[in-house]
Amino acid sequence: MSNAEPKLTRAEWGTRFGFLMAMIGAMVGVGNIWRFPFVTGEHGGGAFILAFLILLFLIAIPGLMAEVALGRYAGKGVIGSVREAVGTGGLVGLGLVVVLVNFALMTYYAPVVGWTLYYMLHSFLFTFTDPGFNAETFLDSFFADPAMMIAMHTIVVGLVATVLYFGIRRGIERVVLIAVPALVIAMAAIAIRAVTLPGAAEGLAFTFTVQWEYLGQSDTWIAALGQALFSTGLGWGIAITIGSYLREHDDAPLGGGVFTALGEASIGILAAFAIFPLVFAFGLPPEGGVGLTFVSLVQVFPEMPAGAAWAIVFFAGFFLAAITSAILITEVLVTTISEETRMSRGQTVIAVCGLIWLFGLPSAYSVDFLDFADLTFANWGLPLATLAIIIAIGWFLGPERLRVLSVNRNAGIYVGPIWNPIIKYLIPFVMIFIMAYFAWDNFGEDIMIAGMIVLVTFPIVGYLVMRYVEGRNQPQAGTAPAGGDD
Amino acid sequence: MTEAITVETWIGMGVAIIAFWGIASWALVRTMRQEDRKLKLIERVGSIDTYSPRGLADLRAWIEENPDDPYIGDAKEAYNECVETLKEIDETFYHWSEEEIEELETVD
Repeated sequence: MSNAEPKLTRAEWGTRFGFLMAMIGAMVGVGNIWRFPFVTGEHGGGAFILAFLILLFLIAIPGLMAEVALGRYAGKGVIGSVREAVGTGGLVGLGLVVVLVNFALMTYYAPVVGWTLYYMLHSFLFTFTDPGFNAETFLDSFFADPAMMIAMHTIVVGLVATVLYFGIRRGIERVVLIAVPALVIAMAAIAIRAVTLPGAAEGLAFTFTVQWEYLGQSDTWIAALGQALFSTGLGWGIAITIGSYLREHDDAPLGGGVFTALGEASIGILAAFAIFPLVFAFGLPPEGGVGLTFVSLVQVFPEMPAGAAWAIVFFAGFFLAAITSAILITEVLVTTISEETRMSRGQTVIAVCGLIWLFGLPSAYSVDFLDFADLTFANWGLPLATLAIIIAIGWFLGPERLRVLSVNRNAGIYVGPIWNPIIKYLIPFVMIFIMAYFAWDNFGEDIMIAGMIVLVTFPIVGYLVMRYVEGRNQPQAGTAPAGGDD
Repeated sequence: MTEAITVETWIGMGVAIIAFWGIASWALVRTMRQEDRKLKLIERVGSIDTYSPRGLADLRAWIEENPDDPYIGDAKEAYNECVETLKEIDETFYHWSEEEIEELETVD
């Protein structure tokens, strides 16, 4: 745009399908499997699904379109794209806020991926079908073994670094082209098996029965809003980063917006067909999170015919969902840091992953610390990142500019001017509302204080650091290849 | 299993499958087919039109309304590139009529 920098050396997705699978791989994480089915069942089943769908179309899809279009237009990672939107100066710190939040997210997400790795490895060892196996004792002993949790964390960070080291096409694209279809096949296989079990109807009823009265309850809409925002990764810089590697004639709104949001949600729907029919068929109580995947489901597999094989299918799929998100979230950091510094991609991968490993040690060591970090950043850090990106687009670059210059260019669908007020007013309002709601809900608690510290310090640090850096560094146009060189 | 499922559950499952898997599958097939068509057009004709008629009309309107905008250079370049391509190629990617193409003019 304003700075004409050469983009010829920048990597691109090899195929359209590779880009789409990268988007899905990034957005589908553990939450689709251990959170979505339970939240759906708890908030009116079909009524929640309807509320979720409305919010996807109203907020997540337009927001993702904006992110992908900005990334494609700027051809830069998060900080570079924000700079294109706001100009040089301290406000580029909005991009740094996103980077800091992603880094914080990865420090506790990598240990969670380590848990899924641990369970996947044990599924291959047939541990869950051993006589005398006790799910709760197994989980407790794992959480009480910091050395093992740190080992899993280390392996996960090593795997992420290895994939990223090979670059966009040879690393990420190769992995997601296999991992995402494999995840879908694994979940579909389990869903087919689950719904054909005696007693599965009760699980389907729990998850899908439409209870219309829930549509009139604010809790349903808050839960659906949280799901629409967090499961799509809106405003975390992932869509900007992935979009920045699009090819010249690629579409942004259809693939990056509509397909990504609905495809990602479809995997949650598939998990809903798989999980609760399974849990109810074996008479276990419904729950979400760690208790669902690491306690309830591992008690189900020994009861099933060929249960050991089904455990492998489930935990392999679960691990793939988790690791692909970790890879793409880390790529957000790698792309932008390699662009903003003089480090090569390889050096950046090593530095970023090394820091994630180091700062992830407390979460790998203590589940309580991880829970605290998760609540703090899920409630305030991630909405803050979304707000930072949407403010940069909606209030500095301007949605109409982006719409005519990038969103509708080579687009698979036409995006009309109704999109503009959604980006400029609706999404920022929703993000502020959700942070205020979380603050009200946790008023006076440690978690709220930690959240307020994040809300205040991250923007200040971002502004001051980027003001200093932008003032010190004159533009180095064209001196370094972009972040994703293969 | 099926005898225990109520109408409300069937509705919930139906909506979930159609609204999510249905639309996501439609989007996937549509975008992949478009990609295929774009590649074939580029191979055959050399370049493709970059805006739909409505998209290009919006861009032109924006250019006329914002002559002093810092992005005006990019906007004009994008507009002219699309117009010139449309006048050069025989087969378009978007649904352009010959009359619509004839009426187009580049901007200075």
